[in-house]
Amino acid sequence: MKFRVFATFVGPSLLLMFIFIAAPLAAVFWQSFHVTQPVYTTVVAETCTPGFINQICTTESRIQLELDEDGIPIRTTEFVGLQTYRSVLELDRFWAAVKDFSWSKLMVIDFWKALRFTLTFTLVTLPLVIGVGLLIALAVNSAAKTVRGQIIFVSLLPFIITPVIGALSIRWLFVGDGILTAFLEWVIERDIAMLGHAWTIELLMLFYRVWHVAPFAFVVFYAGLQTVNNDTVESAVIDGANRIERLRYVVIPHLMPLIVFVSLIHLMDAYRVFEEIVGFRSQGYVISLQWLTYDFLTPDETGNRAVSSASASAMLTMVGIVIILVPLLRKTWRDHRAGLN
Amino acid sequence: MAAPRSLRMSTGLRVASIGFIAFWCLLAAFPIAWISVMSFKLPVDAFASNPLHVVFGPFTRDAGKGLSILDIAIGGTAIWQFVRFATRRMPHLVKAHPPFGSTLLGWIFGSLLYGLVFVVVIAWILPSVMPAINKLAGPLGKPIIGFTIEHYKSVWIGDGFYRNFLNSLMVTTGVVTVSLTVGTLAGYGLARSGSSLAFWILIVALVFRALPHSVLVAGYLPVFINSAEFLRPLLGELAPTLYGKPFAVIAVLVSINQPFTIWMLRSFFQNIPAELDEAARVDGCTHFQAFRWVIMPVMWPGVITTGLFSFLLAYNDFLVTSLLLDATNQTMVPAIAGFFNRETTTTDQVKAVAAAVSITAPLFLLVMVFQRQIVSGLTAGAVKG
Amino acid sequence: MKLSNIFLAGALALGTGGAWADCAFENTVPLKSLTAGFEAWKAATSAMAECGNFEAELDQEFRTKQPAAFAAEPSLYHIGGVSNGTFNPLYNAGTIRPLDDLVAKHGQHLEPNQLIKINGQTWAIAMMVNAQHLMFRKDILADLGIDPPTSYDEVLAAAEAIREAGVVDYPLGGTYMTGWNLGNEFINNYLGFGGEFFDENNHPSINNEHGMATLELMAALSENMDPEFLQSDSTYVQQQFQQGKIAMANLWASRAGNVVDPNESQVVGLVEMDSAPVGPVRPHAALWWDGIVIAKNITDEEADAAFRVAMEGIDTEMVMANNAAAIWLIDGYEPGPLSAGAAATAANGAVPYPASPALGLMHNALGTGLSDFLTGAKDAAATLIDIEAAYVTAAKEAGLIN
Repeated sequence: MKFRVFATFVGPSLLLMFIFIAAPLAAVFWQSFHVTQPVYTTVVAETCTPGFINQICTTESRIQLELDEDGIPIRTTEFVGLQTYRSVLELDRFWAAVKDFSWSKLMVIDFWKALRFTLTFTLVTLPLVIGVGLLIALAVNSAAKTVRGQIIFVSLLPFIITPVIGALSIRWLFVGDGILTAFLEWVIERDIAMLGHAWTIELLMLFYRVWHVAPFAFVVFYAGLQTVNNDTVESAVIDGANRIERLRYVVIPHLMPLIVFVSLIHLMDAYRVFEEIVGFRSQGYVISLQWLTYDFLTPDETGNRAVSSASASAMLTMVGIVIILVPLLRKTWRDHRAGLN
Repeated sequence: MAAPRSLRMSTGLRVASIGFIAFWCLLAAFPIAWISVMSFKLPVDAFASNPLHVVFGPFTRDAGKGLSILDIAIGGTAIWQFVRFATRRMPHLVKAHPPFGSTLLGWIFGSLLYGLVFVVVIAWILPSVMPAINKLAGPLGKPIIGFTIEHYKSVWIGDGFYRNFLNSLMVTTGVVTVSLTVGTLAGYGLARSGSSLAFWILIVALVFRALPHSVLVAGYLPVFINSAEFLRPLLGELAPTLYGKPFAVIAVLVSINQPFTIWMLRSFFQNIPAELDEAARVDGCTHFQAFRWVIMPVMWPGVITTGLFSFLLAYNDFLVTSLLLDATNQTMVPAIAGFFNRETTTTDQVKAVAAAVSITAPLFLLVMVFQRQIVSGLTAGAVKG
Repeated sequence: MKLSNIFLAGALALGTGGAWADCAFENTVPLKSLTAGFEAWKAATSAMAECGNFEAELDQEFRTKQPAAFAAEPSLYHIGGVSNGTFNPLYNAGTIRPLDDLVAKHGQHLEPNQLIKINGQTWAIAMMVNAQHLMFRKDILADLGIDPPTSYDEVLAAAEAIREAGVVDYPLGGTYMTGWNLGNEFINNYLGFGGEFFDENNHPSINNEHGMATLELMAALSENMDPEFLQSDSTYVQQQFQQGKIAMANLWASRAGNVVDPNESQVVGLVEMDSAPVGPVRPHAALWWDGIVIAKNITDEEADAAFRVAMEGIDTEMVMANNAAAIWLIDGYEPGPLSAGAAATAANGAVPYPASPALGLMHNALGTGLSDFLTGAKDAAATLIDIEAAYVTAAKEAGLIN
């Protein structure tokens, strides 16, 4: 295909990605090395606010922004190099904790705490999603044809449901004396608070993600199972391969490209874990990297937001994902080279 | 077709497999089923700690809002008939009578009509007919389960949720159409190019997909709000304020989803033999003609599957829509989050639950109808990588 | 299901729409407002909408959107809803206009108490106040012969007694959800001890005996709460009350009406409102106000119309139709037993929430930094040091300190 034809086909898509992803990405990259600040002054002012019956007036110093002659706040932008990265990573405290070999000291530093959870979350859910997805796919594939449709329908529900609502609906089952908490209390005969401990919340979040994504893995694998070559399976049977061996040597290799595909998508999504933190309100116990970014960006009570820190933490998140994806990307690259020859 | 004897499962394995499936289905359906049960109860029952109270709703029943055995029987039959219609008859009907020859339009129109008839029958005709029948039926007509649809009514009519529904409809239709148009072209180009440039485009797209959305979206907000000022030198008085405009959100969602779309579609097109369009090119077609007359007729399974993923993304999005749309154009998900996060009363929360259940209903319909296409589309495409 | 239910539902749906008289004039200038979404704003903006050509936006993201939207040229909204805190970014950026001439023209009926003034100029019109105050189950306390507690020591003693008597598992409720709520609880308690948050150069000064006392108090209180307290926001505490699971809480005045709402609550008539527990210096609570501002980047004609519409929204008729929705500052409000708690808190000398850019950052640092202390991951001294450090990092980035 000639370059010009190729460019016309790919152009619109690239243009959209350039405007709405690449350009903001460049801005984020730039902001992570710069700090933009307004100029504050302190003035003494009398402020009157409502009391219950009478007004309360106080005279005190008040922090204000300096405005230029158009009435717009003066802002200065300064190149700060890696300073923002250093303050997000809190390297001093990090090294102090490393020197002490103190895990608990490390786990009270926001970034490292978030990184720990994000990695655990990503690496624990990955095999579970693949495994559960494969199990469902195999089981459905061997189920009677008449009920398959209904089973596939029910199985897809957790995947299609709006994530915010899915997380909420699971949280309700456990919050306070929610029915599943009550059920568990009845089983083990003691009072439990599922949302009162870091590890139980973490378990719930892992469970939720597997519940939510396993159907996606399932439907992809199930589609793959439809194209398993029956001749190969039968010749394996003739060679005396049992069920496990057939799975190991015929089915899994056949599904391998799909497993790579699902892993790729899942790794990226799981590393950006965010909805679970909000849905399960876990920020008091565990936080994730994207939540950290989001928190920097959320304006506080008086409207401040830490844009530079958010940019730095977003860049760090991206670097993390790229590192995690390297093995899979290398495989794709090799396949690509092989495809060319 | 019976499987060869050697491939049949042993009894133990069969039982284990059936048990596993049953357990999984329970797990998959339970949370959703549970919130839908909650949504039909008054707040005291909906948030009761005794699960039986939530299911049977004694408080709701005593408040005079209950279902009798007869109600359940007739209502259940009606719903069952609706489900059967959607899965069995509707696909054929749409195929047989596509308006203006377009199946997609047929589906949109058909689904809307179906939803309308469903609401009219279940929420209007039955509730107005049943009291009279119940009176005649004696003990069978006595309410046994607490049940009320008042939360649905107050959400959809009182709080104007139907407007959010229409907005969602518009945004999702826009995203699916644009995303597929742009994505199929790009996917086809990438699949047929084979150059290293195409490969690197895919890799860069993948890295783009890795970017945390929260930072992207926060970056859009100031630009979108001030866009009229930025664009005035270019567009003069026509310069729009992008903030709050559905088309701007559609563009953002399409772009965010492009990496996934082009990856999916590329692998679909790779599985369509290149000989097909090469033959067409030998016959003197340009690339575009080959695409239009040879590829388009056979690409639909893959496109429908990818379209469903785009649909889910647009329909379920919260981060982008909550920040970039204003109240008049707000879609359903941020509206529901608004119900929850407002200084809520418990009644508000049950209303929010009702809204949350209503938002899943179209998804139900969608999967019911397209289930076979999802599987066949995936089978046709991604398998060979 | 009966037909009457449908009518009832319809009536309820209408009831939230319009129960008060129409607007006094017909508005011809297209106007938009951006406010928070709670009940009082719903009431006020619905009343404004009756003047016509008015579009209300009740948005949970208003904190993010307001500063940018008001800075646009022209401003995307004409009327804004603000509180002590969210007033600051708009005032500081110069995107709202002084209201003195408009008050003189259309606002003669306003109470002096409603005018938010800085150096004698009016910048906002307050419509309601809010404060956290003690709510308690008078039946439980009476059964155990305990007097209504006035200080946190008495609250803790009462909690102990209730626990021992086994009336409820967790006697206390608290809005300790990590983030804004938790930070706010620290600020309430620290104010009660008479602490200062900053020195004159905006450097933090919470690492002192008041800070330690506050942390000890919060730890002691949290031990009497449901172990899921780090997730509990005001809606959750309100539900705990409604379901009879807790006996006492320092909860928002705006929730008092819901706690005893007969449609939802199982404890109707059993909850009494009293002043927030009083600390060594003042009550452990801050006073908040909510009110309206008018954008600067709009024409004077628009501003005039916007102000008139806003005045229609926060008028006596609206208050009479929504008396229980808030503690209104507007003429026509009838204080009842539900507002007694807020009144007593104010009478005991509670101060307004001391909003400033520095406190905003501190509020944030407290909100995220305290949970490690309450879960036991950090001790009190380390917690205060880390929160001060987090504040300093944020304040440097914001340009508040060098």
